[in-house]
Amino acid sequence: MKKQTFKKITLLLGIMMFSALFSNSIFAQSKVEATTSKAQQNLIVKGKVTDDKGALPGVNVVLKGSKVGAVTDENGEFTFPQSLSSGDVLVFSYLGYNKQNITIDAQTTYINLLMSDNVIEIMGAPSTDKPYKSKRSH
Amino acid sequence: MRYLLLFIFAFQSHAQISDFDHIDFSKADQMASMCKNEGLDNMPKLVYNLTSNLDTDVEQFRAIYMWVCHNIANDYTLYLKNKRKRNKFKNDSTKLRVWNENFKKVVFKKLLKQERTICTGYAYIIQELAKLANLDCEIVHGYGKTSMTNINELDPPNHSWNAIKLNEKWYLCDPTWASGIPDPETNFFKFEYNNGYFLSNPRLFIVNHFPLDKKWTLLENENHTFEEFLDAPILYGKAYTNLKEHAKPKQMHHLLQKNEKVQFKYELIKAIDTKSVSFLIDNGFNNIKTAPNSVHLENRFLILEHQFDTNGFYDVHLYIGDDLISTYTFKVKS
Repeated sequence: MKKQTFKKITLLLGIMMFSALFSNSIFAQSKVEATTSKAQQNLIVKGKVTDDKGALPGVNVVLKGSKVGAVTDENGEFTFPQSLSSGDVLVFSYLGYNKQNITIDAQTTYINLLMSDNVIEIMGAPSTDKPYKSKRSH
Repeated sequence: MRYLLLFIFAFQSHAQISDFDHIDFSKADQMASMCKNEGLDNMPKLVYNLTSNLDTDVEQFRAIYMWVCHNIANDYTLYLKNKRKRNKFKNDSTKLRVWNENFKKVVFKKLLKQERTICTGYAYIIQELAKLANLDCEIVHGYGKTSMTNINELDPPNHSWNAIKLNEKWYLCDPTWASGIPDPETNFFKFEYNNGYFLSNPRLFIVNHFPLDKKWTLLENENHTFEEFLDAPILYGKAYTNLKEHAKPKQMHHLLQKNEKVQFKYELIKAIDTKSVSFLIDNGFNNIKTAPNSVHLENRFLILEHQFDTNGFYDVHLYIGDDLISTYTFKVKS
Protein backbone atom coordinates (compact mmCIF):
# COMPACT_ATOMS: atom_id res chain seq x y z
CA MET A 1 0.00 0.00 0.00
CA LYS A 2 2.69 2.39 1.12
CA LYS A 3 4.87 1.43 -1.80
CA GLN A 4 2.09 2.20 -4.23
CA THR A 5 1.56 5.71 -2.89
CA PHE A 6 5.28 6.31 -3.11
CA LYS A 7 5.22 5.16 -6.73
CA LYS A 8 2.35 7.49 -7.50
CA ILE A 9 4.14 10.45 -5.96
CA THR A 10 7.29 9.70 -7.93
CA LEU A 11 5.28 9.47 -11.12
CA LEU A 12 3.53 12.72 -10.40
CA LEU A 13 6.79 14.48 -9.61
CA GLY A 14 8.25 13.08 -12.79
CA ILE A 15 5.39 14.44 -14.85
CA MET A 16 5.63 17.81 -13.18
CA MET A 17 9.37 18.07 -13.76
CA PHE A 18 9.01 16.96 -17.34
CA SER A 19 6.24 19.41 -18.09
CA ALA A 20 8.15 22.22 -16.37
CA LEU A 21 11.06 21.54 -18.65
CA PHE A 22 8.80 21.54 -21.65
CA SER A 23 6.90 24.75 -20.86
CA ASN A 24 10.12 26.54 -20.08
CA SER A 25 11.56 25.81 -23.49
CA ILE A 26 8.43 27.17 -25.16
CA PHE A 27 8.62 30.34 -23.11
CA ALA A 28 12.27 30.88 -24.08
CA GLN A 29 11.40 30.50 -27.73
CA SER A 30 8.61 33.03 -27.77
CA LYS A 31 10.72 35.51 -25.86
CA VAL A 32 13.43 35.39 -28.49
CA GLU A 33 10.83 35.94 -31.17
CA ALA A 34 9.41 38.99 -29.40
CA THR A 35 12.77 40.72 -29.05
CA THR A 36 13.73 40.16 -32.66
CA SER A 37 10.44 41.55 -33.96
CA LYS A 38 10.76 44.55 -31.69
CA ALA A 39 14.26 45.19 -32.91
CA GLN A 40 12.95 45.32 -36.44
CA GLN A 41 10.30 47.90 -35.72
CA ASN A 42 10.95 51.19 -34.09
CA LEU A 43 8.08 53.34 -35.20
CA ILE A 44 7.85 56.94 -34.17
CA VAL A 45 4.20 57.85 -34.52
CA LYS A 46 2.85 61.36 -34.93
CA GLY A 47 -0.61 62.55 -35.81
CA LYS A 48 -3.40 65.07 -35.79
CA VAL A 49 -6.91 64.77 -34.34
CA THR A 50 -9.85 66.80 -35.63
CA ASP A 51 -13.62 66.87 -35.36
CA ASP A 52 -16.09 68.35 -37.86
CA LYS A 53 -15.18 71.85 -36.67
CA GLY A 54 -11.39 71.56 -36.82
CA ALA A 55 -8.42 70.70 -34.60
CA LEU A 56 -9.22 68.96 -31.32
CA PRO A 57 -6.84 69.80 -28.46
CA GLY A 58 -6.74 67.81 -25.22
CA VAL A 59 -7.39 64.38 -26.73
CA ASN A 60 -5.75 61.51 -24.81
CA VAL A 61 -3.68 59.13 -26.91
CA VAL A 62 -2.65 56.06 -24.95
CA LEU A 63 -0.95 52.77 -25.75
CA LYS A 64 -3.56 50.13 -24.91
CA GLY A 65 -2.85 48.25 -21.70
CA SER A 66 -0.38 50.84 -20.39
CA LYS A 67 -0.41 54.39 -19.12
CA VAL A 68 2.12 55.62 -21.66
CA GLY A 69 0.48 58.35 -23.65
CA ALA A 70 0.31 61.80 -25.16
CA VAL A 71 -2.20 64.66 -25.21
CA THR A 72 -2.93 66.60 -28.40
CA ASP A 73 -1.76 70.25 -28.40
CA GLU A 74 -3.74 73.35 -29.44
CA ASN A 75 -3.33 72.33 -33.11
CA GLY A 76 -4.70 68.86 -32.35
CA GLU A 77 -1.25 67.38 -32.94
CA PHE A 78 0.74 64.85 -30.95
CA THR A 79 3.99 62.88 -31.05
CA PHE A 80 3.83 59.56 -29.23
CA PRO A 81 6.59 59.56 -26.56
CA GLN A 82 7.62 55.95 -27.09
CA SER A 83 8.51 54.05 -30.23
CA LEU A 84 5.87 51.53 -31.23
CA SER A 85 5.80 48.24 -33.09
CA SER A 86 3.19 46.90 -35.47
CA GLY A 87 0.24 45.36 -33.69
CA ASP A 88 0.29 47.98 -30.91
CA VAL A 89 -3.05 49.71 -30.39
CA LEU A 90 -3.44 53.40 -29.66
CA VAL A 91 -6.63 54.45 -27.87
CA PHE A 92 -7.93 57.96 -28.63
CA SER A 93 -10.40 59.31 -26.10
CA TYR A 94 -11.98 62.63 -25.27
CA LEU A 95 -14.98 63.39 -23.11
CA GLY A 96 -18.09 63.72 -25.27
CA TYR A 97 -16.56 61.93 -28.27
CA ASN A 98 -16.60 58.30 -29.35
CA LYS A 99 -13.49 56.43 -28.26
CA GLN A 100 -11.39 55.06 -31.16
CA ASN A 101 -8.77 52.34 -31.37
CA ILE A 102 -6.07 52.55 -34.04
CA THR A 103 -3.86 49.52 -34.68
CA ILE A 104 -0.29 50.37 -35.68
CA ASP A 105 1.21 48.56 -38.69
CA ALA A 106 4.72 48.67 -40.13
CA GLN A 107 3.81 51.63 -42.39
CA THR A 108 2.23 53.83 -39.72
CA THR A 109 4.08 57.09 -39.16
CA TYR A 110 1.34 59.72 -39.23
CA ILE A 111 -2.26 59.27 -38.03
CA ASN A 112 -4.98 61.62 -39.26
CA LEU A 113 -8.01 60.99 -37.11
CA LEU A 114 -11.49 62.45 -37.31
CA MET A 115 -13.40 62.03 -34.05
CA SER A 116 -17.18 62.18 -33.87
CA ASP A 117 -19.49 63.52 -31.19
CA ASN A 118 -21.19 61.07 -28.91
CA VAL A 119 -24.92 61.34 -29.48
CA ILE A 120 -26.45 61.40 -26.04
CA GLU A 121 -29.55 62.82 -24.45
CA ILE A 122 -28.97 64.84 -21.34
CA MET A 123 -31.35 64.52 -18.41
CA GLY A 124 -31.21 64.31 -14.67
CA ALA A 125 -33.31 63.76 -11.59
CA PRO A 126 -31.33 64.13 -8.37
CA SER A 127 -31.98 61.90 -5.41
CA THR A 128 -33.62 63.26 -2.30
CA ASP A 129 -34.39 62.10 1.21
CA LYS A 130 -37.04 64.74 1.79
CA PRO A 131 -40.23 62.97 2.94
CA TYR A 132 -43.13 63.14 0.50
CA LYS A 133 -45.91 65.56 1.46
CA SER A 134 -49.43 65.34 0.06
CA LYS A 135 -51.00 68.50 -1.28
CA ARG A 136 -54.02 69.16 0.91
CA SER A 137 -56.90 71.48 0.22
CA HIS A 138 -57.40 72.82 3.78
CA MET B 1 -31.21 16.22 -7.35
CA ARG B 2 -28.84 18.61 -5.66
CA TYR B 3 -27.77 19.99 -9.03
CA LEU B 4 -31.34 20.37 -10.12
CA LEU B 5 -32.06 22.43 -7.01
CA LEU B 6 -28.95 24.49 -7.60
CA PHE B 7 -30.04 25.08 -11.17
CA ILE B 8 -33.52 26.16 -10.16
CA PHE B 9 -32.09 28.49 -7.55
CA ALA B 10 -29.62 30.04 -9.98
CA PHE B 11 -32.33 30.44 -12.55
CA GLN B 12 -34.70 32.24 -10.23
CA SER B 13 -32.35 34.64 -8.51
CA HIS B 14 -31.93 37.99 -10.25
CA ALA B 15 -28.57 39.48 -11.01
CA GLN B 16 -27.59 41.46 -7.93
CA ILE B 17 -24.75 42.20 -5.57
CA SER B 18 -25.21 39.00 -3.54
CA ASP B 19 -23.78 37.13 -6.56
CA PHE B 20 -20.45 38.60 -5.48
CA ASP B 21 -20.64 37.86 -1.76
CA HIS B 22 -17.34 36.00 -2.05
CA ILE B 23 -15.54 39.14 -3.25
CA ASP B 24 -14.04 41.63 -0.85
CA PHE B 25 -14.33 45.08 -2.41
CA SER B 26 -11.98 46.79 0.01
CA LYS B 27 -9.03 46.67 -2.41
CA ALA B 28 -11.12 48.19 -5.22
CA ASP B 29 -12.45 50.86 -2.86
CA GLN B 30 -8.92 51.65 -1.79
CA MET B 31 -7.88 52.09 -5.44
CA ALA B 32 -10.73 54.57 -5.88
CA SER B 33 -9.72 56.61 -2.85
CA MET B 34 -6.05 56.57 -3.91
CA CYS B 35 -7.04 58.23 -7.20
CA LYS B 36 -8.95 61.00 -5.43
CA ASN B 37 -6.83 63.82 -6.81
CA GLU B 38 -6.92 62.68 -10.41
CA GLY B 39 -9.18 64.41 -12.90
CA LEU B 40 -11.06 63.49 -16.03
CA ASP B 41 -8.58 65.24 -18.30
CA ASN B 42 -6.68 61.99 -18.70
CA MET B 43 -9.28 59.22 -18.57
CA PRO B 44 -7.04 56.38 -19.84
CA LYS B 45 -4.50 57.09 -17.11
CA LEU B 46 -7.24 57.33 -14.51
CA VAL B 47 -8.66 53.96 -15.60
CA TYR B 48 -5.22 52.40 -15.63
CA ASN B 49 -4.52 53.59 -12.10
CA LEU B 50 -7.94 52.47 -10.92
CA THR B 51 -7.98 49.00 -12.43
CA SER B 52 -4.51 47.67 -13.25
CA ASN B 53 -4.02 46.09 -9.80
CA LEU B 54 -7.43 44.42 -9.75
CA ASP B 55 -7.99 40.93 -11.10
CA THR B 56 -11.73 40.53 -11.62
CA ASP B 57 -14.11 42.54 -13.80
CA VAL B 58 -16.41 43.22 -10.89
CA GLU B 59 -13.57 44.71 -8.82
CA GLN B 60 -12.41 46.83 -11.75
CA PHE B 61 -15.93 48.11 -12.27
CA ARG B 62 -16.29 48.70 -8.55
CA ALA B 63 -13.18 50.91 -8.49
CA ILE B 64 -14.48 52.98 -11.44
CA TYR B 65 -17.95 53.28 -9.92
CA MET B 66 -16.61 54.28 -6.51
CA TRP B 67 -14.33 56.90 -8.05
CA VAL B 68 -17.24 58.47 -9.95
CA CYS B 69 -19.60 58.38 -6.96
CA HIS B 70 -17.03 60.02 -4.69
CA ASN B 71 -15.61 62.62 -7.07
CA ILE B 72 -18.38 63.85 -9.34
CA ALA B 73 -20.80 66.31 -7.76
CA ASN B 74 -24.44 66.58 -8.77
CA ASP B 75 -25.28 70.01 -10.14
CA TYR B 76 -28.78 70.96 -9.07
CA THR B 77 -28.87 74.31 -10.90
CA LEU B 78 -27.92 72.56 -14.10
CA TYR B 79 -30.65 70.00 -13.46
CA LEU B 80 -33.36 72.66 -12.99
CA LYS B 81 -32.32 74.56 -16.10
CA ASN B 82 -32.41 71.41 -18.20
CA LYS B 83 -35.75 70.32 -16.77
CA ARG B 84 -37.38 73.65 -17.63
CA LYS B 85 -36.10 73.59 -21.20
CA ARG B 86 -36.93 69.94 -21.80
CA ASN B 87 -40.50 70.55 -20.71
CA LYS B 88 -40.76 73.70 -22.79
CA PHE B 89 -39.56 71.93 -25.95
CA LYS B 90 -41.14 68.56 -25.35
CA ASN B 91 -43.49 68.89 -28.33
CA ASP B 92 -40.91 70.47 -30.62
CA SER B 93 -38.34 67.86 -31.52
CA THR B 94 -36.13 70.24 -33.53
CA LYS B 95 -35.84 72.76 -30.69
CA LEU B 96 -35.31 69.95 -28.20
CA ARG B 97 -32.49 68.58 -30.31
CA VAL B 98 -30.82 71.99 -30.63
CA TRP B 99 -31.16 72.55 -26.89
CA ASN B 100 -29.76 69.13 -26.17
CA GLU B 101 -26.85 69.71 -28.54
CA ASN B 102 -25.85 72.98 -26.87
CA PHE B 103 -26.55 71.79 -23.37
CA LYS B 104 -24.41 68.72 -23.94
CA LYS B 105 -21.40 70.96 -24.56
CA VAL B 106 -22.02 72.82 -21.31
CA VAL B 107 -22.38 69.54 -19.44
CA PHE B 108 -19.14 68.10 -20.77
CA LYS B 109 -17.25 71.31 -20.09
CA LYS B 110 -18.49 71.34 -16.51
CA LEU B 111 -17.69 67.67 -16.12
CA LEU B 112 -14.14 68.18 -17.35
CA LYS B 113 -13.33 71.42 -15.54
CA GLN B 114 -15.38 71.32 -12.35
CA GLU B 115 -16.27 67.65 -12.04
CA ARG B 116 -19.94 68.54 -11.65
CA THR B 117 -22.77 67.05 -13.65
CA ILE B 118 -26.32 65.67 -13.70
CA CYS B 119 -27.31 62.06 -14.09
CA THR B 120 -26.66 61.49 -17.78
CA GLY B 121 -23.21 62.83 -17.03
CA TYR B 122 -22.73 60.22 -14.30
CA ALA B 123 -24.02 57.40 -16.46
CA TYR B 124 -21.94 58.62 -19.38
CA ILE B 125 -18.69 58.90 -17.46
CA ILE B 126 -19.23 55.45 -15.91
CA GLN B 127 -19.72 54.03 -19.39
CA GLU B 128 -16.67 55.80 -20.84
CA LEU B 129 -14.36 54.71 -18.02
CA ALA B 130 -15.74 51.15 -18.08
CA LYS B 131 -15.20 50.97 -21.84
CA LEU B 132 -11.58 52.02 -21.37
CA ALA B 133 -11.24 49.07 -18.98
CA ASN B 134 -12.77 46.82 -21.69
CA LEU B 135 -15.97 46.28 -19.74
CA ASP B 136 -19.37 46.06 -21.40
CA CYS B 137 -21.43 48.92 -19.98
CA GLU B 138 -24.62 50.64 -21.18
CA ILE B 139 -26.45 53.84 -20.35
CA VAL B 140 -30.10 53.20 -19.56
CA HIS B 141 -32.51 56.08 -20.12
CA GLY B 142 -35.88 56.24 -18.47
CA TYR B 143 -37.88 57.55 -15.55
CA GLY B 144 -36.73 57.91 -11.99
CA LYS B 145 -39.24 58.55 -9.22
CA THR B 146 -38.46 60.36 -5.96
CA SER B 147 -40.55 62.23 -3.38
CA MET B 148 -39.90 65.41 -5.38
CA THR B 149 -41.03 64.04 -8.74
CA ASN B 150 -44.25 65.51 -9.99
CA ILE B 151 -45.96 62.46 -11.45
CA ASN B 152 -48.15 64.56 -13.76
CA GLU B 153 -45.03 66.06 -15.30
CA LEU B 154 -43.24 62.76 -15.89
CA ASP B 155 -42.92 63.18 -19.60
CA PRO B 156 -40.27 63.43 -21.13
CA PRO B 157 -37.90 60.94 -19.44
CA ASN B 158 -35.99 62.40 -16.52
CA HIS B 159 -33.26 59.98 -15.44
CA SER B 160 -30.37 57.79 -16.63
CA TRP B 161 -28.47 54.97 -15.00
CA ASN B 162 -26.20 52.08 -16.03
CA ALA B 163 -26.27 48.40 -16.84
CA ILE B 164 -22.97 46.51 -16.58
CA LYS B 165 -22.16 43.04 -17.87
CA LEU B 166 -20.16 40.93 -15.44
CA ASN B 167 -19.53 37.20 -15.91
CA GLU B 168 -21.99 37.19 -18.83
CA LYS B 169 -24.82 38.64 -16.74
CA TRP B 170 -26.24 42.14 -16.74
CA TYR B 171 -26.50 44.14 -13.51
CA LEU B 172 -28.02 47.52 -12.63
CA CYS B 173 -26.55 50.49 -10.82
CA ASP B 174 -27.46 54.14 -10.31
CA PRO B 175 -24.34 56.28 -9.80
CA THR B 176 -26.31 59.55 -9.65
CA TRP B 177 -28.40 58.54 -6.69
CA ALA B 178 -25.50 56.70 -5.07
CA SER B 179 -23.23 59.72 -4.94
CA GLY B 180 -25.25 61.93 -2.63
CA ILE B 181 -28.07 64.40 -2.28
CA PRO B 182 -28.27 68.02 -3.43
CA ASP B 183 -30.02 70.32 -1.02
CA PRO B 184 -32.94 71.82 -3.00
CA GLU B 185 -32.77 75.06 -1.01
CA THR B 186 -29.07 75.84 -1.13
CA ASN B 187 -28.20 73.78 -4.27
CA PHE B 188 -25.24 72.62 -2.24
CA PHE B 189 -24.33 69.06 -3.09
CA LYS B 190 -23.53 66.74 -0.21
CA PHE B 191 -21.47 63.65 -1.01
CA GLU B 192 -23.10 60.79 0.85
CA TYR B 193 -22.35 57.47 -0.77
CA ASN B 194 -25.17 54.92 -0.77
CA ASN B 195 -23.96 51.39 -1.48
CA GLY B 196 -27.49 50.13 -2.12
CA TYR B 197 -27.46 51.37 -5.72
CA PHE B 198 -24.48 49.17 -6.66
CA LEU B 199 -25.66 46.02 -8.51
CA SER B 200 -29.12 46.47 -7.01
CA ASN B 201 -31.86 43.87 -7.03
CA PRO B 202 -33.88 44.49 -10.24
CA ARG B 203 -37.11 43.79 -8.35
CA LEU B 204 -36.45 46.70 -6.02
CA PHE B 205 -35.00 48.88 -8.79
CA ILE B 206 -38.19 48.65 -10.88
CA VAL B 207 -40.19 50.37 -8.11
CA ASN B 208 -38.52 53.72 -8.84
CA HIS B 209 -36.62 53.16 -12.12
CA PHE B 210 -38.61 52.62 -15.31
CA PRO B 211 -36.42 52.11 -18.41
CA LEU B 212 -37.56 53.28 -21.86
CA ASP B 213 -36.32 49.99 -23.26
CA LYS B 214 -38.04 47.25 -21.28
CA LYS B 215 -35.16 44.81 -21.59
CA TRP B 216 -33.29 46.89 -19.00
CA THR B 217 -35.73 45.96 -16.26
CA LEU B 218 -33.68 42.71 -16.31
CA LEU B 219 -36.95 40.98 -15.39
CA GLU B 220 -37.39 39.01 -18.58
CA ASN B 221 -40.38 36.94 -17.66
CA GLU B 222 -42.36 39.70 -16.01
CA ASN B 223 -44.44 42.42 -17.55
CA HIS B 224 -44.14 45.78 -15.84
CA THR B 225 -46.22 48.69 -17.08
CA PHE B 226 -45.60 52.41 -16.84
CA GLU B 227 -48.93 52.77 -14.98
CA GLU B 228 -47.73 50.35 -12.32
CA PHE B 229 -44.59 52.42 -11.96
CA LEU B 230 -46.59 55.66 -11.63
CA ASP B 231 -48.83 54.06 -8.99
CA ALA B 232 -45.97 52.52 -7.00
CA PRO B 233 -45.04 53.76 -3.50
CA ILE B 234 -42.18 56.22 -3.07
CA LEU B 235 -38.89 54.65 -2.10
CA TYR B 236 -35.99 56.53 -0.53
CA GLY B 237 -32.26 55.85 -0.76
CA LYS B 238 -32.26 53.96 2.51
CA ALA B 239 -34.72 51.42 1.07
CA TYR B 240 -31.77 50.18 -0.96
CA THR B 241 -29.58 49.59 2.09
CA ASN B 242 -32.34 47.78 4.02
CA LEU B 243 -34.50 45.95 1.48
CA LYS B 244 -34.03 43.30 -1.15
CA GLU B 245 -37.56 43.68 -2.32
CA HIS B 246 -40.64 45.79 -1.69
CA ALA B 247 -43.37 43.16 -1.99
CA LYS B 248 -46.51 44.89 -0.63
CA PRO B 249 -48.40 47.14 -1.07
CA LYS B 250 -47.85 47.75 -4.77
CA GLN B 251 -49.66 51.11 -4.68
CA MET B 252 -48.83 54.46 -3.19
CA HIS B 253 -52.41 55.68 -2.64
CA HIS B 254 -55.05 53.72 -0.73
CA LEU B 255 -58.70 54.09 0.14
CA LEU B 256 -59.59 52.29 3.38
CA GLN B 257 -62.59 51.73 5.61
CA LYS B 258 -62.14 52.66 9.25
CA ASN B 259 -60.45 49.73 11.07
CA GLU B 260 -59.77 47.93 7.80
CA LYS B 261 -56.50 46.03 8.00
CA VAL B 262 -53.71 46.89 5.58
CA GLN B 263 -50.66 44.66 5.13
CA PHE B 264 -47.07 45.56 4.26
CA LYS B 265 -44.42 43.04 3.23
CA TYR B 266 -40.70 43.52 2.59
CA GLU B 267 -37.74 41.24 2.01
CA LEU B 268 -34.85 42.38 4.17
CA ILE B 269 -31.13 42.38 3.37
CA LYS B 270 -30.15 41.73 6.98
CA ALA B 271 -31.94 40.80 10.18
CA ILE B 272 -33.39 43.73 12.14
CA ASP B 273 -34.91 44.32 15.55
CA THR B 274 -38.70 44.46 15.14
CA LYS B 275 -38.79 47.28 17.70
CA SER B 276 -36.87 49.50 15.28
CA VAL B 277 -39.81 49.53 12.83
CA SER B 278 -42.04 52.60 13.02
CA PHE B 279 -44.49 54.72 11.06
CA LEU B 280 -44.39 58.48 10.96
CA ILE B 281 -47.98 59.46 10.28
CA ASP B 282 -48.82 62.93 8.99
CA ASN B 283 -52.55 63.72 9.27
CA GLY B 284 -52.19 67.21 7.81
CA PHE B 285 -51.88 68.89 11.19
CA ASN B 286 -49.12 67.03 12.97
CA ASN B 287 -46.68 64.16 12.68
CA ILE B 288 -47.05 61.22 15.01
CA LYS B 289 -44.43 58.51 15.35
CA THR B 290 -46.06 55.18 16.12
CA ALA B 291 -45.39 51.46 15.91
CA PRO B 292 -47.46 49.51 13.37
CA ASN B 293 -50.25 47.46 15.01
CA SER B 294 -48.35 44.28 14.29
CA VAL B 295 -44.73 43.68 13.29
CA HIS B 296 -43.29 40.26 12.67
CA LEU B 297 -40.46 38.54 10.86
CA GLU B 298 -40.82 35.42 8.72
CA ASN B 299 -37.38 34.27 7.61
CA ARG B 300 -36.07 37.33 5.76
CA PHE B 301 -39.49 38.89 5.35
CA LEU B 302 -40.77 41.78 7.42
CA ILE B 303 -44.57 41.77 7.66
CA LEU B 304 -46.53 44.68 9.10
CA GLU B 305 -50.23 45.21 9.70
CA HIS B 306 -51.97 48.42 10.53
CA GLN B 307 -55.45 49.84 11.01
CA PHE B 308 -56.64 53.44 11.23
CA ASP B 309 -59.35 54.07 13.83
CA THR B 310 -60.06 57.67 12.83
CA ASN B 311 -61.29 59.07 9.52
CA GLY B 312 -58.82 61.26 7.71
CA PHE B 313 -56.12 61.54 5.11
CA TYR B 314 -52.71 60.25 6.14
CA ASP B 315 -49.21 60.33 4.69
CA VAL B 316 -47.51 57.28 6.17
CA HIS B 317 -43.71 57.08 6.18
CA LEU B 318 -42.04 53.79 7.08
CA TYR B 319 -38.84 53.95 9.12
CA ILE B 320 -36.40 51.21 10.13
CA GLY B 321 -34.41 52.83 12.92
CA ASP B 322 -33.61 56.31 11.59
CA ASP B 323 -33.74 55.16 7.98
CA LEU B 324 -36.64 56.51 5.94
CA ILE B 325 -37.72 53.64 3.68
CA SER B 326 -40.98 54.44 1.87
CA THR B 327 -44.17 56.52 1.78
CA TYR B 328 -47.87 55.66 1.23
CA THR B 329 -51.07 57.64 1.59
CA PHE B 330 -54.33 56.43 3.13
CA LYS B 331 -57.73 58.00 2.86
CA VAL B 332 -59.79 56.52 5.70
CA LYS B 333 -63.61 56.68 5.63
CA SER B 334 -66.19 55.12 7.89
